[in-house]
Amino acid sequence: MLKFILWALLFGVTLISPFLGAVDLSFHSILSPDSLGHQIFFDIRLPRLVFGFSAGVILALSGLLFQTLFRNALMTPYTLGISSGAVLGAGIAIKLGLGSILFGIATISLFGFGGAIFTVFLLIYLERFLKSSHSESLLLLGIALSLFYTSALMIVFYMGSSIQNDMLIRFTMGSLSVIAWQHPVILAIMALFLLFSLYIYRYELQILATSQTQATLKGLNTKKITLVLLVISSLAIGVLVSISGPIGFVGLVVPHIVTKLYPQTINKRIFKTALLGGLFLVACDTLSRSLNTQSELPIGIITALIGGPFFIYLIISKGQK
Amino acid sequence: MISIKNLSCSFSKKFILKDISLELQSHVTVLGANGSGKSTFAKALCGLNKYEGEIYIAKQNLQNLSLAQRAKTIAYIPTKLEVYDKYITVEEFVLLSRFAYKKSYLDYTQKDRDLVEKNLNFLAITHLKHHTMEALSSGEQQLVLIASALTQQSDVIIFDEPTANLDPLNSKVIAQHIKTLKKQHQIILITHDLHLAHYIDSEVLFVKNSSIEHYKEGIFTDAMLQKLYGVKFTNLVVEYA
Repeated sequence: MLKFILWALLFGVTLISPFLGAVDLSFHSILSPDSLGHQIFFDIRLPRLVFGFSAGVILALSGLLFQTLFRNALMTPYTLGISSGAVLGAGIAIKLGLGSILFGIATISLFGFGGAIFTVFLLIYLERFLKSSHSESLLLLGIALSLFYTSALMIVFYMGSSIQNDMLIRFTMGSLSVIAWQHPVILAIMALFLLFSLYIYRYELQILATSQTQATLKGLNTKKITLVLLVISSLAIGVLVSISGPIGFVGLVVPHIVTKLYPQTINKRIFKTALLGGLFLVACDTLSRSLNTQSELPIGIITALIGGPFFIYLIISKGQK
Repeated sequence: MISIKNLSCSFSKKFILKDISLELQSHVTVLGANGSGKSTFAKALCGLNKYEGEIYIAKQNLQNLSLAQRAKTIAYIPTKLEVYDKYITVEEFVLLSRFAYKKSYLDYTQKDRDLVEKNLNFLAITHLKHHTMEALSSGEQQLVLIASALTQQSDVIIFDEPTANLDPLNSKVIAQHIKTLKKQHQIILITHDLHLAHYIDSEVLFVKNSSIEHYKEGIFTDAMLQKLYGVKFTNLVVEYA
């Protein structure tokens, strides 16, 4: 029953989401092709819905993936510093004024992906020096990297002009506002690609989720599969972050809720996690647009306000065991 | 079946095992003090630890085998298994042993599932099929791990202290299963449980001072055990007083 109410509520919010916002839209205006209402609905509200949903899918699936690969509930691209790496990369691109298109891809996205993938390889490189094979040490490395990147971003701020800084600050707050269909389509493709990858490697993930040793003994090349999946999810995260800025904690909260609702083995939770992630972020976005009609609250702030306490709850409930 | 040439394993630049050469035609029980290198030896055999030298199983060099081929050759049963995926069921867990046989991207076949069913039935744990791995007792877990090893259909099965966490009744059940498995598989049994070792009745490897002594028979006498372990035995039981 609880499950039904939750899904119904989220689906309901998602359905009414494009009708809510600063401008009230009547059905009549949406349906008449030349009106402003039509334009707002099809060029702003719907693209935003698709973008938000895809972003939620990517964040939730990446969370599930990282938690499985490292067998630790606190692992997400955010806690490991991979998102911060992407933010720094995108921030540098903004500072350098690289708004251009390179080989058909936005330079900012390339820098974002570069920051994410650099962090992944740095973590893999540094992990070899860790004395303990416990995933907590890797988590601490990620947190240290995160703090380092944040300081580096401060230097970028310090050297930037006030116009650039205004852009940068807004960027680091995370936002789902997009105009037209280019970004939503790119992100939807990324989300589908990530979902597809997790699906075709569902049994590899299931073995990895038992234990590292167990996976090796059953014949899985754990290093190879970990690297492949990390690169794929870094690509999706890098592109997402370079467009929307960081949106934290979705990757932490959503997989955990799905596990609580559906206590099943990992490969039965992939699609549910993707769906809940998409709906959850759209719901958060709808909330952020409804709280204050003058100017909307950045989505990253909403998810962090929900996710922060949740993170503390996870650590405490883990510590009690 | 297993041929070991000049095997050395080291940890932090210290030799755990040094220059070991052995021919293992049949089942062996590996005995030795704590920290003597029994587990290191077993882990080298199934490719979990790095080693120098050569290990041949059924004339194939272990180092030239892919991980999947290795899984088809050798199975390892740990004393205890911590599983991160709390909600994986016994049936799903045992099915993972077919991974090395499974075609990439596809589901496990009905044949794989039938084999799991058969092995769960063989070990009389079909009723645990839908239980989660986390909910099992130590005895049940050891049975599931055996079912898992059988489903892997490897020639060699390594048991790493199978009775270390078990009560006498469960120890007996496991011991009887190991004895049955001797007919179909080459068993390598690592243990401190001398009753189990005596009951399984195989050749013995005694690991001491980073080398291994191979005894084909006659190890289970009080005098012999006292010589090896350095404590006094009466009827194969250690004297505490």
